[in-house]
Amino acid sequence: MTEYRAEKERWMVIEEREMERIHAVLGEFLKLSGAKCALLIDKDGYLITKHGGQSSFHDDTISALVAGSFAATKEMARLLGEEEFSVLYHQGRHENIQLTLVGDRVLLTVIFDEQTTLGMIRLYAKEAAMKLAEVMAAASAPAGAGSARLGQGFSASAKDKLDSLFQ
Amino acid sequence: MVQINFARKEINCKIVYYGPGMSGKTTNLEIIHKKTPDENKGELTCIATEGDRTLFFDFMPLNLGNIMGMNTKFQLYTVPGQVYYNSTRKLVLRGADGIIFVADSAPDKMDENLESLRNLEENLREYGRDAQDMPIVIQFNKRDLPEAVPLGELQEKLNPRKIPTFEAVAKSGDGVFQTLKALAGLVIENLNRTTRKEKGTRATESLEPAPGSGRRIVTADSPPEVESSGQSGGGRIPARRPIPVSATANAEAPVNSPARRRGVAGRPALQQDAVRSSGANAGAERAELTAPVRVPSPRVSPAPDRKISRDLSAAPRRGMTVLLVVLGIVVAAAAVFFVSRG
Repeated sequence: MTEYRAEKERWMVIEEREMERIHAVLGEFLKLSGAKCALLIDKDGYLITKHGGQSSFHDDTISALVAGSFAATKEMARLLGEEEFSVLYHQGRHENIQLTLVGDRVLLTVIFDEQTTLGMIRLYAKEAAMKLAEVMAAASAPAGAGSARLGQGFSASAKDKLDSLFQ
Repeated sequence: MVQINFARKEINCKIVYYGPGMSGKTTNLEIIHKKTPDENKGELTCIATEGDRTLFFDFMPLNLGNIMGMNTKFQLYTVPGQVYYNSTRKLVLRGADGIIFVADSAPDKMDENLESLRNLEENLREYGRDAQDMPIVIQFNKRDLPEAVPLGELQEKLNPRKIPTFEAVAKSGDGVFQTLKALAGLVIENLNRTTRKEKGTRATESLEPAPGSGRRIVTADSPPEVESSGQSGGGRIPARRPIPVSATANAEAPVNSPARRRGVAGRPALQQDAVRSSGANAGAERAELTAPVRVPSPRVSPAPDRKISRDLSAAPRRGMTVLLVVLGIVVAAAAVFFVSRG
Protein backbone atom coordinates (compact mmCIF):
# COMPACT_ATOMS: atom_id res chain seq x y z
CA MET A 1 0.00 0.00 0.00
CA THR A 2 2.72 2.39 0.98
CA GLU A 3 4.59 1.67 -2.21
CA TYR A 4 1.57 2.49 -4.34
CA ARG A 5 0.99 5.72 -2.46
CA ALA A 6 4.46 6.87 -3.36
CA GLU A 7 3.36 6.77 -7.00
CA LYS A 8 0.40 9.01 -6.34
CA GLU A 9 0.25 12.47 -7.81
CA ARG A 10 3.68 12.31 -9.34
CA TRP A 11 3.93 13.70 -12.83
CA MET A 12 6.99 13.60 -14.97
CA VAL A 13 8.18 16.96 -16.25
CA ILE A 14 11.24 16.91 -18.45
CA GLU A 15 13.10 20.10 -19.28
CA GLU A 16 15.67 20.77 -21.98
CA ARG A 17 18.45 20.76 -19.41
CA GLU A 18 17.59 17.26 -18.22
CA MET A 19 17.18 16.02 -21.77
CA GLU A 20 20.68 17.19 -22.64
CA ARG A 21 22.09 15.29 -19.69
CA ILE A 22 20.10 12.19 -20.62
CA HIS A 23 21.41 12.23 -24.18
CA ALA A 24 24.96 12.76 -23.00
CA VAL A 25 24.70 9.63 -20.84
CA LEU A 26 22.96 7.59 -23.54
CA GLY A 27 25.45 8.69 -26.20
CA GLU A 28 28.38 7.60 -24.08
CA PHE A 29 26.63 4.33 -23.23
CA LEU A 30 26.05 3.45 -26.89
CA LYS A 31 29.66 4.28 -27.75
CA LEU A 32 31.06 2.08 -24.98
CA SER A 33 28.64 -0.82 -25.22
CA GLY A 34 28.27 -1.10 -28.98
CA ALA A 35 24.46 -1.23 -28.74
CA LYS A 36 22.34 0.08 -31.60
CA CYS A 37 19.68 2.04 -29.83
CA ALA A 38 18.68 3.08 -26.32
CA LEU A 39 15.24 4.21 -25.22
CA LEU A 40 14.23 5.71 -21.92
CA ILE A 41 10.69 4.67 -21.09
CA ASP A 42 8.40 5.63 -18.22
CA LYS A 43 6.89 2.66 -16.36
CA ASP A 44 3.49 4.09 -17.33
CA GLY A 45 4.39 3.28 -20.94
CA TYR A 46 5.47 6.69 -22.27
CA LEU A 47 8.63 7.20 -24.26
CA ILE A 48 10.86 9.81 -22.64
CA THR A 49 13.49 9.86 -25.34
CA LYS A 50 15.41 7.70 -27.78
CA HIS A 51 19.07 7.76 -28.75
CA GLY A 52 20.77 5.86 -31.52
CA GLY A 53 20.07 4.16 -34.84
CA GLN A 54 16.99 4.32 -36.96
CA SER A 55 14.38 1.83 -35.86
CA SER A 56 11.56 0.23 -37.78
CA PHE A 57 9.27 -0.07 -34.77
CA HIS A 58 6.71 2.41 -33.59
CA ASP A 59 8.04 4.23 -30.55
CA ASP A 60 4.73 4.52 -28.68
CA THR A 61 3.92 0.87 -29.21
CA ILE A 62 7.29 -0.46 -28.12
CA SER A 63 7.13 1.80 -25.06
CA ALA A 64 3.72 0.46 -24.03
CA LEU A 65 4.84 -3.13 -24.57
CA VAL A 66 8.11 -2.68 -22.69
CA ALA A 67 6.28 -1.15 -19.74
CA GLY A 68 3.69 -3.94 -19.88
CA SER A 69 6.36 -6.60 -20.04
CA PHE A 70 8.18 -5.14 -17.07
CA ALA A 71 4.95 -4.76 -15.10
CA ALA A 72 4.08 -8.42 -15.71
CA THR A 73 7.43 -9.59 -14.37
CA LYS A 74 6.96 -7.37 -11.35
CA GLU A 75 4.01 -9.53 -10.37
CA MET A 76 6.17 -12.59 -10.96
CA ALA A 77 8.86 -11.11 -8.71
CA ARG A 78 6.31 -10.51 -5.98
CA LEU A 79 5.29 -14.14 -6.06
CA LEU A 80 8.94 -14.99 -5.42
CA GLY A 81 9.15 -12.50 -2.58
CA GLU A 82 11.10 -9.90 -4.56
CA GLU A 83 9.87 -6.36 -4.98
CA GLU A 84 10.68 -6.32 -8.68
CA PHE A 85 13.37 -7.50 -11.09
CA SER A 86 15.92 -4.85 -11.98
CA VAL A 87 17.12 -6.34 -15.28
CA LEU A 88 15.19 -8.17 -17.99
CA TYR A 89 16.57 -9.66 -21.16
CA HIS A 90 14.78 -10.85 -24.29
CA GLN A 91 16.91 -12.72 -26.80
CA GLY A 92 16.01 -13.00 -30.46
CA ARG A 93 17.80 -14.60 -33.39
CA HIS A 94 19.45 -11.34 -34.40
CA GLU A 95 18.03 -8.57 -32.23
CA ASN A 96 17.92 -8.51 -28.45
CA ILE A 97 16.40 -6.22 -25.86
CA GLN A 98 17.59 -5.58 -22.35
CA LEU A 99 15.61 -3.58 -19.82
CA THR A 100 17.38 -2.01 -16.84
CA LEU A 101 15.48 -0.30 -14.07
CA VAL A 102 16.50 3.33 -13.58
CA GLY A 103 15.53 4.66 -10.16
CA ASP A 104 11.98 3.59 -9.38
CA ARG A 105 10.05 4.85 -12.36
CA VAL A 106 12.03 4.60 -15.59
CA LEU A 107 13.33 1.77 -17.76
CA LEU A 108 16.49 1.95 -19.84
CA THR A 109 15.70 -0.15 -22.88
CA VAL A 110 18.66 -1.24 -24.98
CA ILE A 111 18.36 -2.80 -28.42
CA PHE A 112 21.46 -4.59 -29.68
CA ASP A 113 22.58 -7.28 -32.12
CA GLU A 114 25.61 -9.54 -32.73
CA GLN A 115 27.95 -6.57 -32.94
CA THR A 116 28.29 -6.64 -29.17
CA THR A 117 27.75 -9.00 -26.25
CA LEU A 118 25.30 -9.24 -23.42
CA GLY A 119 28.14 -8.80 -20.93
CA MET A 120 29.16 -5.46 -22.43
CA ILE A 121 25.55 -4.28 -22.40
CA ARG A 122 25.05 -5.29 -18.77
CA LEU A 123 28.29 -3.69 -17.62
CA TYR A 124 27.71 -0.30 -19.20
CA ALA A 125 23.91 -0.28 -18.73
CA LYS A 126 24.42 -0.55 -14.99
CA GLU A 127 26.70 2.48 -14.99
CA ALA A 128 24.39 4.45 -17.25
CA ALA A 129 21.35 3.58 -15.11
CA MET A 130 23.03 5.03 -12.03
CA LYS A 131 23.78 8.29 -13.82
CA LEU A 132 20.31 8.46 -15.35
CA ALA A 133 18.65 7.84 -11.99
CA GLU A 134 20.06 11.14 -10.72
CA VAL A 135 18.73 13.01 -13.74
CA MET A 136 15.31 11.39 -13.61
CA ALA A 137 14.89 12.12 -9.92
CA ALA A 138 14.78 15.78 -10.87
CA ALA A 139 12.08 15.13 -13.47
CA SER A 140 9.62 13.57 -11.04
CA ALA A 141 7.31 16.34 -9.90
CA PRO A 142 4.04 16.82 -8.02
CA ALA A 143 0.84 16.82 -10.04
CA GLY A 144 0.40 20.13 -11.81
CA ALA A 145 4.08 20.97 -12.02
CA GLY A 146 4.90 22.56 -15.33
CA SER A 147 1.33 22.73 -16.52
CA ALA A 148 1.14 26.50 -15.93
CA ARG A 149 3.54 26.94 -18.80
CA LEU A 150 1.11 25.34 -21.20
CA GLY A 151 -0.80 28.59 -21.39
CA GLN A 152 -4.34 29.60 -20.47
CA GLY A 153 -5.76 28.75 -23.85
CA PHE A 154 -4.44 25.20 -23.86
CA SER A 155 -7.63 23.55 -22.66
CA ALA A 156 -9.85 25.41 -25.14
CA SER A 157 -7.49 24.65 -28.01
CA ALA A 158 -7.32 20.99 -27.05
CA LYS A 159 -11.11 20.75 -26.97
CA ASP A 160 -11.31 22.37 -30.40
CA LYS A 161 -8.93 19.71 -31.65
CA LEU A 162 -11.06 17.00 -30.09
CA ASP A 163 -14.12 18.45 -31.79
CA SER A 164 -12.48 18.51 -35.19
CA LEU A 165 -11.04 15.02 -34.79
CA PHE A 166 -14.24 13.37 -33.58
CA GLN A 167 -16.85 15.35 -35.50
CA MET B 1 0.31 9.93 -14.74
CA VAL B 2 0.69 12.87 -17.01
CA GLN B 3 4.05 13.33 -18.65
CA ILE B 4 4.97 16.79 -19.87
CA ASN B 5 8.08 16.59 -21.96
CA PHE B 6 9.13 20.16 -22.71
CA ALA B 7 12.28 18.95 -24.41
CA ARG B 8 10.30 16.90 -26.94
CA LYS B 9 7.37 19.34 -26.78
CA GLU B 10 5.03 16.52 -25.93
CA ILE B 11 2.23 15.77 -23.46
CA ASN B 12 1.16 12.19 -22.73
CA CYS B 13 -1.99 11.12 -20.94
CA LYS B 14 -3.26 7.59 -20.31
CA ILE B 15 -6.88 6.56 -20.79
CA VAL B 16 -8.04 3.11 -19.73
CA TYR B 17 -11.18 1.28 -20.87
CA TYR B 18 -12.42 -0.75 -17.91
CA GLY B 19 -15.38 -3.07 -17.50
CA PRO B 20 -16.53 -6.67 -17.32
CA GLY B 21 -15.48 -9.29 -19.84
CA MET B 22 -17.13 -9.09 -23.26
CA SER B 23 -18.67 -5.69 -22.56
CA GLY B 24 -17.10 -4.16 -25.68
CA LYS B 25 -13.89 -2.48 -24.54
CA THR B 26 -11.75 -3.85 -27.36
CA THR B 27 -14.53 -3.15 -29.86
CA ASN B 28 -14.46 0.50 -28.76
CA LEU B 29 -10.76 0.65 -29.49
CA GLU B 30 -11.14 -1.10 -32.83
CA ILE B 31 -13.77 1.40 -33.96
CA ILE B 32 -11.63 4.33 -32.83
CA HIS B 33 -8.67 2.90 -34.69
CA LYS B 34 -10.73 2.29 -37.79
CA LYS B 35 -12.24 5.76 -37.97
CA THR B 36 -9.33 7.91 -36.81
CA PRO B 37 -7.26 9.51 -39.58
CA ASP B 38 -3.90 7.83 -40.13
CA GLU B 39 -1.91 10.89 -39.08
CA ASN B 40 -3.60 10.84 -35.67
CA LYS B 41 -3.13 7.20 -34.72
CA GLY B 42 -0.52 4.55 -34.18
CA GLU B 43 -0.83 0.80 -34.39
CA LEU B 44 -3.57 -1.03 -32.55
CA THR B 45 -1.79 -3.69 -30.54
CA CYS B 46 -3.78 -6.52 -29.00
CA ILE B 47 -2.33 -9.06 -26.63
CA ALA B 48 -5.09 -11.62 -26.82
CA THR B 49 -5.65 -15.31 -26.21
CA GLU B 50 -6.29 -17.75 -29.04
CA GLY B 51 -9.96 -17.35 -28.26
CA ASP B 52 -9.60 -13.65 -29.08
CA ARG B 53 -10.10 -12.50 -25.51
CA THR B 54 -7.86 -9.76 -24.19
CA LEU B 55 -5.05 -11.42 -22.24
CA PHE B 56 -3.05 -8.44 -21.07
CA PHE B 57 -4.16 -5.26 -22.79
CA ASP B 58 -5.01 -3.64 -26.10
CA PHE B 59 -3.17 -0.46 -26.86
CA MET B 60 -3.49 2.38 -29.29
CA PRO B 61 -1.78 5.78 -29.33
CA LEU B 62 -4.05 8.63 -30.35
CA ASN B 63 -2.32 11.83 -31.35
CA LEU B 64 -4.37 14.97 -30.96
CA GLY B 65 -1.71 16.95 -32.79
CA ASN B 66 0.01 20.21 -32.01
CA ILE B 67 -1.77 22.24 -29.37
CA MET B 68 -0.10 25.53 -28.55
CA GLY B 69 3.29 24.11 -29.44
CA MET B 70 2.85 20.82 -27.58
CA ASN B 71 2.20 17.54 -29.34
CA THR B 72 -0.64 16.10 -27.24
CA LYS B 73 -1.12 12.34 -27.12
CA PHE B 74 -3.58 9.99 -25.47
CA GLN B 75 -2.49 6.42 -24.92
CA LEU B 76 -5.61 4.26 -25.00
CA TYR B 77 -5.58 0.94 -23.16
CA THR B 78 -8.14 -1.74 -22.45
CA VAL B 79 -7.94 -4.18 -19.58
CA PRO B 80 -8.88 -7.85 -19.62
CA GLY B 81 -12.36 -8.02 -18.17
CA GLN B 82 -12.39 -11.56 -16.84
CA VAL B 83 -12.45 -11.73 -13.07
CA TYR B 84 -9.37 -13.98 -12.84
CA TYR B 85 -7.16 -11.47 -14.69
CA ASN B 86 -7.23 -8.95 -11.88
CA SER B 87 -3.48 -8.71 -11.39
CA THR B 88 -2.91 -7.76 -15.02
CA ARG B 89 -5.92 -5.45 -14.92
CA LYS B 90 -4.39 -3.64 -11.99
CA LEU B 91 -1.08 -3.29 -13.79
CA VAL B 92 -2.71 -1.64 -16.80
CA LEU B 93 -4.56 0.73 -14.50
CA ARG B 94 -1.30 2.06 -13.16
CA GLY B 95 -0.79 5.73 -13.94
CA ALA B 96 -4.20 6.16 -15.61
CA ASP B 97 -5.32 9.76 -16.07
CA GLY B 98 -8.89 8.92 -17.04
CA ILE B 99 -11.19 5.89 -17.17
CA ILE B 100 -14.04 4.87 -19.46
CA PHE B 101 -16.14 2.21 -17.78
CA VAL B 102 -17.86 0.10 -20.43
CA ALA B 103 -20.96 -1.50 -18.95
CA ASP B 104 -22.94 -4.27 -20.63
CA SER B 105 -26.67 -3.56 -21.04
CA ALA B 106 -27.64 -7.24 -21.08
CA PRO B 107 -29.85 -8.08 -18.07
CA ASP B 108 -27.76 -11.09 -17.08
CA LYS B 109 -24.61 -8.92 -16.96
CA MET B 110 -25.73 -6.57 -14.21
CA ASP B 111 -23.91 -8.45 -11.47
CA GLU B 112 -20.73 -8.49 -13.53
CA ASN B 113 -21.04 -4.75 -14.13
CA LEU B 114 -21.38 -4.12 -10.41
CA GLU B 115 -18.51 -6.44 -9.56
CA SER B 116 -16.29 -4.74 -12.12
CA LEU B 117 -17.14 -1.29 -10.74
CA ARG B 118 -16.29 -2.46 -7.24
CA ASN B 119 -13.08 -3.96 -8.57
CA LEU B 120 -12.17 -0.68 -10.27
CA GLU B 121 -12.55 1.29 -7.06
CA GLU B 122 -10.61 -1.31 -5.12
CA ASN B 123 -7.74 -1.36 -7.60
CA LEU B 124 -7.60 2.43 -7.65
CA ARG B 125 -7.50 2.46 -3.85
CA GLU B 126 -4.53 0.11 -3.93
CA TYR B 127 -2.72 2.75 -5.97
CA GLY B 128 -3.73 5.30 -3.33
CA ARG B 129 -6.20 6.94 -5.66
CA ASP B 130 -9.87 7.73 -5.28
CA ALA B 131 -12.40 7.11 -8.06
CA GLN B 132 -14.15 10.32 -7.00
CA ASP B 133 -11.11 12.40 -7.84
CA MET B 134 -10.54 10.92 -11.27
CA PRO B 135 -12.08 11.75 -14.62
CA ILE B 136 -14.41 8.80 -15.22
CA VAL B 137 -17.33 8.32 -17.59
CA ILE B 138 -19.61 5.32 -18.05
CA GLN B 139 -20.60 3.92 -21.41
CA PHE B 140 -23.76 1.81 -21.45
CA ASN B 141 -22.92 -0.44 -24.35
CA LYS B 142 -25.05 -2.87 -26.38
CA ARG B 143 -28.10 -0.64 -26.29
CA ASP B 144 -29.35 -2.43 -29.37
CA LEU B 145 -30.07 -5.64 -27.47
CA PRO B 146 -33.82 -6.32 -27.55
CA GLU B 147 -33.78 -7.17 -23.85
CA ALA B 148 -31.40 -4.34 -22.85
CA VAL B 149 -31.87 -3.14 -19.29
CA PRO B 150 -33.74 0.22 -19.27
CA LEU B 151 -31.50 3.24 -18.99
CA GLY B 152 -33.09 4.39 -15.73
CA GLU B 153 -32.29 1.09 -14.06
CA LEU B 154 -28.68 1.17 -15.29
CA GLN B 155 -28.29 4.71 -13.98
CA GLU B 156 -29.76 3.78 -10.63
CA LYS B 157 -27.63 0.69 -10.13
CA LEU B 158 -24.34 1.62 -11.77
CA ASN B 159 -24.17 5.38 -11.44
CA PRO B 160 -25.09 6.51 -7.94
CA ARG B 161 -22.58 9.34 -8.17
CA LYS B 162 -24.16 10.73 -11.33
CA ILE B 163 -21.05 10.88 -13.44
CA PRO B 164 -21.46 11.43 -17.18
CA THR B 165 -22.89 8.45 -19.04
CA PHE B 166 -23.26 7.62 -22.70
CA GLU B 167 -25.29 5.06 -24.58
CA ALA B 168 -23.51 3.13 -27.25
CA VAL B 169 -23.58 0.29 -29.71
CA ALA B 170 -19.84 -0.13 -29.99
CA LYS B 171 -19.93 -2.70 -32.79
CA SER B 172 -21.60 -0.19 -35.09
CA GLY B 173 -19.66 2.78 -33.74
CA ASP B 174 -22.62 4.54 -32.17
CA GLY B 175 -21.60 6.47 -29.08
CA VAL B 176 -17.97 5.40 -29.21
CA PHE B 177 -16.49 8.76 -30.13
CA GLN B 178 -18.87 10.73 -27.93
CA THR B 179 -17.67 8.74 -24.94
CA LEU B 180 -14.00 9.17 -25.74
CA LYS B 181 -14.39 12.85 -26.54
CA ALA B 182 -16.12 13.51 -23.22
CA LEU B 183 -13.48 11.65 -21.21
CA ALA B 184 -10.59 13.24 -23.11
CA GLY B 185 -12.17 16.63 -22.41
CA LEU B 186 -12.34 15.84 -18.69
CA VAL B 187 -8.70 14.74 -18.67
CA ILE B 188 -7.63 17.97 -20.34
CA GLU B 189 -9.87 19.95 -18.01
CA ASN B 190 -8.22 18.23 -15.08
CA LEU B 191 -4.84 19.25 -16.42
CA ASN B 192 -6.06 22.78 -16.92
CA ARG B 193 -7.57 22.91 -13.45
CA THR B 194 -4.24 22.00 -11.99
CA THR B 195 -2.71 24.78 -14.05
CA ARG B 196 -4.95 27.35 -12.45
CA LYS B 197 -4.37 25.95 -9.00
CA GLU B 198 -0.65 26.18 -9.55
CA LYS B 199 -0.98 29.83 -10.46
CA GLY B 200 -2.62 30.50 -7.12
CA THR B 201 -6.11 31.12 -8.43
CA ARG B 202 -9.17 29.21 -7.41
CA ALA B 203 -10.20 26.50 -9.80
CA THR B 204 -13.45 27.42 -11.47
CA GLU B 205 -15.08 25.37 -14.15
CA SER B 206 -15.77 27.55 -17.14
CA LEU B 207 -18.43 25.23 -18.50
CA GLU B 208 -21.67 27.10 -18.92
CA PRO B 209 -24.96 25.42 -18.14
CA ALA B 210 -27.42 24.93 -20.94
CA PRO B 211 -29.91 27.81 -20.97
CA GLY B 212 -32.80 26.98 -18.73
CA SER B 213 -31.37 23.64 -17.80
CA GLY B 214 -31.21 24.48 -14.15
CA ARG B 215 -27.74 23.02 -13.93
CA ARG B 216 -25.37 25.00 -11.89
CA ILE B 217 -21.81 25.75 -12.75
CA VAL B 218 -19.48 23.58 -10.74
CA THR B 219 -16.77 25.52 -8.99
CA ALA B 220 -14.13 24.72 -6.48
CA ASP B 221 -15.55 27.53 -4.35
CA SER B 222 -18.83 25.68 -4.14
CA PRO B 223 -19.34 23.38 -1.19
CA PRO B 224 -18.54 19.76 -1.91
CA GLU B 225 -21.57 18.15 -3.46
CA VAL B 226 -20.85 14.58 -2.57
CA GLU B 227 -21.65 13.97 1.02
CA SER B 228 -19.02 12.26 3.03
CA SER B 229 -20.00 8.72 3.76
CA GLY B 230 -16.74 7.56 5.21
CA GLN B 231 -16.07 5.11 2.42
CA SER B 232 -14.98 5.44 -1.11
CA GLY B 233 -17.68 5.25 -3.68
CA GLY B 234 -20.43 5.54 -1.15
CA GLY B 235 -21.16 9.25 -1.48
CA ARG B 236 -24.79 10.22 -1.78
CA ILE B 237 -25.78 12.99 -4.11
CA PRO B 238 -27.92 15.78 -2.79
CA ALA B 239 -30.84 17.06 -4.82
CA ARG B 240 -29.01 20.10 -6.13
CA ARG B 241 -26.44 17.96 -7.86
CA PRO B 242 -26.51 18.53 -11.64
CA ILE B 243 -28.90 16.25 -13.44
CA PRO B 244 -27.35 12.99 -14.63
CA VAL B 245 -26.30 13.35 -18.18
CA SER B 246 -27.17 10.78 -20.74
CA ALA B 247 -25.84 11.98 -24.02
CA THR B 248 -27.48 10.73 -27.11
CA ALA B 249 -25.27 8.68 -29.33
CA ASN B 250 -25.55 10.26 -32.71
CA ALA B 251 -26.57 8.02 -35.55
CA GLU B 252 -23.28 7.64 -37.29
CA ALA B 253 -22.92 5.76 -40.54
CA PRO B 254 -22.68 2.10 -39.63
CA VAL B 255 -19.25 0.69 -40.09
CA ASN B 256 -18.32 -2.84 -40.86
CA SER B 257 -17.96 -4.93 -37.80
CA PRO B 258 -14.39 -5.47 -36.74
CA ALA B 259 -12.67 -8.78 -37.08
CA ARG B 260 -12.95 -9.44 -33.37
CA ARG B 261 -16.71 -9.52 -33.38
CA ARG B 262 -18.19 -10.58 -30.08
CA GLY B 263 -21.30 -12.11 -31.59
CA VAL B 264 -23.81 -9.70 -30.07
CA ALA B 265 -27.16 -10.04 -31.73
CA GLY B 266 -29.20 -6.90 -32.01
CA ARG B 267 -30.80 -4.20 -34.02
CA PRO B 268 -28.64 -1.97 -36.21
CA ALA B 269 -29.81 1.35 -34.89
CA LEU B 270 -29.68 2.82 -31.44
CA GLN B 271 -32.88 2.83 -29.50
CA GLN B 272 -33.62 6.49 -29.62
CA ASP B 273 -36.64 6.19 -27.34
CA ALA B 274 -34.43 5.03 -24.52
CA VAL B 275 -32.61 8.32 -24.48
CA ARG B 276 -33.54 10.56 -21.64
CA SER B 277 -31.93 13.78 -22.69
CA SER B 278 -32.80 15.82 -25.74
CA GLY B 279 -32.56 13.73 -28.86
CA ALA B 280 -31.14 16.50 -31.04
CA ASN B 281 -27.48 16.27 -31.83
CA ALA B 282 -26.92 19.78 -30.56
CA GLY B 283 -28.62 18.81 -27.35
CA ALA B 284 -26.36 15.84 -26.99
CA GLU B 285 -23.30 17.97 -27.53
CA ARG B 286 -24.53 20.43 -24.95
CA ALA B 287 -25.25 17.60 -22.59
CA GLU B 288 -21.64 16.51 -22.88
CA LEU B 289 -20.35 19.99 -22.28
CA THR B 290 -22.57 20.52 -19.28
CA ALA B 291 -21.75 17.17 -17.79
CA PRO B 292 -20.92 17.56 -14.13
CA VAL B 293 -17.20 17.83 -13.76
CA ARG B 294 -15.99 16.58 -10.46
CA VAL B 295 -13.81 18.91 -8.50
CA PRO B 296 -11.30 16.95 -6.46
CA SER B 297 -12.69 16.56 -3.03
CA PRO B 298 -10.57 18.49 -0.56
CA ARG B 299 -11.35 15.95 2.13
CA VAL B 300 -9.57 13.12 0.37
CA SER B 301 -6.26 14.03 -1.16
CA PRO B 302 -4.73 16.23 1.54
CA ALA B 303 -5.29 13.58 4.18
CA PRO B 304 -1.74 12.16 4.16
CA ASP B 305 -0.25 15.67 4.39
CA ARG B 306 -2.48 16.57 7.27
CA LYS B 307 -1.44 13.44 9.08
CA ILE B 308 2.20 14.28 8.55
CA SER B 309 1.77 17.83 9.81
CA ARG B 310 -0.02 16.57 12.91
CA ASP B 311 2.77 14.13 13.58
CA LEU B 312 5.37 16.83 13.15
CA SER B 313 3.64 19.25 15.52
CA ALA B 314 3.16 16.49 18.10
CA ALA B 315 6.87 15.68 18.24
CA PRO B 316 8.03 18.90 20.03
CA ARG B 317 5.16 18.56 22.49
CA ARG B 318 6.25 15.06 23.39
CA GLY B 319 9.83 16.32 23.86
CA MET B 320 8.72 19.08 26.22
CA THR B 321 6.71 16.63 28.30
CA VAL B 322 9.67 14.29 28.70
CA LEU B 323 11.93 17.23 29.62
CA LEU B 324 9.49 18.43 32.32
CA VAL B 325 9.18 14.95 33.81
CA VAL B 326 12.97 14.57 33.95
CA LEU B 327 13.33 18.02 35.55
CA GLY B 328 10.67 17.11 38.13
CA ILE B 329 12.49 13.92 39.05
CA VAL B 330 15.81 15.79 39.42
CA VAL B 331 14.23 18.47 41.61
CA ALA B 332 12.48 15.84 43.76
CA ALA B 333 15.72 13.87 44.16
CA ALA B 334 17.62 17.02 45.11
CA ALA B 335 14.95 17.91 47.66
CA VAL B 336 15.08 14.43 49.21
CA PHE B 337 18.89 14.62 49.28
CA PHE B 338 19.00 17.99 51.06
CA VAL B 339 16.22 17.05 53.49
CA SER B 340 17.96 13.79 54.39
CA ARG B 341 21.22 15.66 55.08
CA GLY B 342 19.44 17.92 57.47
